[in-house]
Amino acid sequence: MKRPLLHLLGLALIAASLAGCGASSDHALNLTLDALDTPVAKSTPYDEPTVKCNNATVTASLRPPATLPAPGHMPAGSFMADIRQKGHLVAGVNAGAYKFGALNPGSGNIEGFEIDLVNQIAKAIFGTAKGHVLLVALTVPQKIPFLEQGKVDIVVDTMTITCYRRTKVDFSAVYYDAQQRLLVPLGSGIKSISALAHKPVCATTGSNPIEVMKAMSPQTRPIPVGKSQAIDCLVAMQLGQVEGISTDSSILLGFKAQDPNTEIVGPSLKAVPYGMAINSSHRDFVQFVNGVLSKLERNGTWQQLQANWLRNFGQLESPPTPRYDG
Amino acid sequence: MWITDAAVSVEGAGIAAAPAPTRRGRGIAAGALGWVRDRLATTPGRLVLISILVVVGAVVFGAIALGAEQSRERAATAARLQTERLLVQAKNLYTALSDANATVATGLLSGGVETAANRNRYVNDLAHASVALSNLTQEAGTAGNAQAALRTIAGQLPTYSGLIETARANNRLGFPIGAAYLRQAALRMTSPSNPEGMLPAADQLYRVEAERLNDNYRTGTATSALVTFAAASAVALILLLLAQWYVARISRRILNVPMVVATVAVAGVSVWGIVGLVNAQNALSSAQRNGSDPVEVLSAATVLLSRAQGDLSLAIVSRGTDTADANDFDVVKRVFERPGGLLAEISALARRTGTTAAAQKFQTDYPAYQAKAQTVADREGSGDLKGAIGLAPQASAISERLSLDLAEQIDAAQGRFMRAAAHATSAFGGLGFAIPLITALAAVLALVGLRQRINEYR
Repeated sequence: MKRPLLHLLGLALIAASLAGCGASSDHALNLTLDALDTPVAKSTPYDEPTVKCNNATVTASLRPPATLPAPGHMPAGSFMADIRQKGHLVAGVNAGAYKFGALNPGSGNIEGFEIDLVNQIAKAIFGTAKGHVLLVALTVPQKIPFLEQGKVDIVVDTMTITCYRRTKVDFSAVYYDAQQRLLVPLGSGIKSISALAHKPVCATTGSNPIEVMKAMSPQTRPIPVGKSQAIDCLVAMQLGQVEGISTDSSILLGFKAQDPNTEIVGPSLKAVPYGMAINSSHRDFVQFVNGVLSKLERNGTWQQLQANWLRNFGQLESPPTPRYDG
Repeated sequence: MWITDAAVSVEGAGIAAAPAPTRRGRGIAAGALGWVRDRLATTPGRLVLISILVVVGAVVFGAIALGAEQSRERAATAARLQTERLLVQAKNLYTALSDANATVATGLLSGGVETAANRNRYVNDLAHASVALSNLTQEAGTAGNAQAALRTIAGQLPTYSGLIETARANNRLGFPIGAAYLRQAALRMTSPSNPEGMLPAADQLYRVEAERLNDNYRTGTATSALVTFAAASAVALILLLLAQWYVARISRRILNVPMVVATVAVAGVSVWGIVGLVNAQNALSSAQRNGSDPVEVLSAATVLLSRAQGDLSLAIVSRGTDTADANDFDVVKRVFERPGGLLAEISALARRTGTTAAAQKFQTDYPAYQAKAQTVADREGSGDLKGAIGLAPQASAISERLSLDLAEQIDAAQGRFMRAAAHATSAFGGLGFAIPLITALAAVLALVGLRQRINEYR
C-alpha cells in the first residue's frame, strides 16, 4: 500500500528535475534589446574661441614678389618647389558649397569657383592643373588641423579670415568679399532683416551670423534658429520652418542657384572676407599665392571664373582690393 | 490514526467555510459541527463523510491540476499563434525601416541617378514596412506605448518618404540640398533627441512584442505549474487510496472495484499530464532556444548592419561639421565585435542550433565588409570623396549579401520555431478535456464504490 505513494513521490521528483532543463531564458532577448538600444553617436557642435585683434588689419597679407617665378621653375628650397617635387597641389576644399566648392553627385567630382582658383594656383606651379591637383573635402573642424599637420598645402574652403584663425594659420589676401546677407522666399515682400523682427531666421549653429543676429537691437532682432549645416537652413525654409536665412552671400548664391524661388535682399550685415589658408611656416607660398591672385584679378581671369559660376544668380562682385602689410 | 486526521480536516473545512462569526453564523457552524459529530459516531456516517471528502477533493484538486495545465497550454498556444507572429511583424517593420534608410543613402552615393535595383529595394522596404504596420495595428492592441509607437510610425512614414523623394529630385539636378533632405529624412528615422523618430518607435514595438513572447515562454515553462499539477494529482490519489484503505479495514473486501478503477484513472491522467507538460515544456523551450532566440539576435544584427551601412554612406554624401556618422559606424562595430557581443552570440546560437555551416557565410562576409568599409571610411576621413565614392559600391554589395544571408538564417530559425511550437501545443493534446472528464468520472466511481458499502448498513 505504501509503494504507490513512493512511486508518486518519485514521479514528482523526476518532474521537478525535468522542469529545470527546459526553463526559459532571457539571455538572447536582453542581448538583442541592448544591442538595438545602442545610442546613436551624437554630433558635437563646432565652436571657435573669440580672439580680439585689429579688425582693420586682420585681412592684410604678405606682399607678393615683384615677379612671379615662371610655371615649372619654382625657386629652389621654396615650398612651391616641394609641391612641384611631390607632383600635386593638395587643397582642402568645401564639398557642400554649391557653385563655390561642391560635390557633383553625377560625376563624383568637386566643382566650383574656388576649385577653379585652386586649379589656377596649380597651373602657376606646374604649367597645367591637369593631374596636379588633389582635392581634399574638409569638414569645418578639420580645416586648421589638416593645415597644421601638413595633410593639405592650402585650404580654399569659404574660410573667413578671423583674428582667432590668424593665430593658427596664415591667410592669402582676400580672394572673395562675401557679406552676411539675407535670403527670403521670392515674393515674400521682405526687403531687409528688420522686417523679420521676432521671426525665425536660420544660420549655422554657433556661427558668426548667429552672433550678428543676437547683437541686433531687441526691437528688430529676429529669432535665430541654428542648424548643424547651412544647407539645412534651405531645407528648413523650403519646409516653411523659418522665414529667412542669414549667412555668407557666397552660400546664399549657392542656395539661390538650387532654389530659384528665393532672393537675396537687404544690406550687408557684416563683411565676411575669404582668404586662402596656408601653414604659417610657408610664408613664401603665401606670397606666391598672393602674386597669382593679383595676376588673375588684373588679367580678368578672376572675373571670368566668377561669371562662369555665378552669372545667373545675382550681381557679380568686383575683385577685392588686396591689402598687404609687408 | 488516519481516520481522525480526515475527520479533523473535515471539521477544519467546516469552520473555514463558515460565515463571519455573527450570532446566527455561530449557530450554523455549531449545527454543522453537530452534524459531523453525529456522522462520526457510526460507520455508515463516516462513510458518508468520506464520500463528501472524496468528491470535494476530486473537484478541488482536479480544478487545481487543470488550472496549472491550462496556464501552460494557453501560454504555449499564444506563443505559437500570436505573440511570436507579432514579434516577427515588429521585426519586419524594424528591419524594413532601417534598410530603407540605408538603401536610400547608399543610392544617393551612386550619382545623380540611382540604379533600378536600389530604387526597387527601397520601394519594397516601404511596402514591407506598411504591411507590417497594418498587421501590428490590428493586433498589437493593448499596451499604450505600443499604440503611441504605431501612431508615430504611421504619422511619420508619409513625411519621410516625401523628404526622400525631394532628396532624390534635388540629387538628380546635382544640388547638394539633396543630401540635406536625405539627412533631414534620416533624422526622422533615427534621431534619439526626436521623440517622434520612427526607429525608436519601431524599437519600442519590438520590445513590447519580444517581452510578451518572453512572458509566454516564462508561463509556458514555469516549474511552479508542473509542481502544482504533480502535487494536486498526488493529493487526489492519496485521498482515494486512504478512502480505500478505510473501506478495506471496515469490510472484508480488500478490493472495491469502482474505487480501484477511479484510482487507476486518476493515476493515468496524472502520468499523462506530467509527461505531456514535460514534453510541451521541452518543445517550447526548444522553440525559444532554437527558434525565436536566433530570430531575435539575427534581426538585431540586420538592423545594426543597416545602421552601419547608412552611417558609411551618409558620412560621404552629407559631410557635416563633425564625424558623428563615422563615429556611429564605430559604435555599431563595437556592438558586433565586443566580447559577448552580437558576433559571439551568432556563433554560439549557430552551434546550439546545429547550423554552423549555414552561418559560415556570414562569418566570412562580416570581416570582409568591415575591411572594405574601413577603406571607404579611411578615404572619406582623409577627404578623398571621389575615392570613397568609387569604393563604396563594393562595401554596399557585401552589406547586401550580409542582409540577404541574415534573412535566410532568420527564415530557417522561424521554421524551427514553428515546428517546435507545434510540438509544444500538440503535447498538451486533449489534456484540457481529459483532466475534468476523468476527475468527474473518478469522483462518480468513488461515490458508487462507497455507496455499495453504505448500502450494506441499511
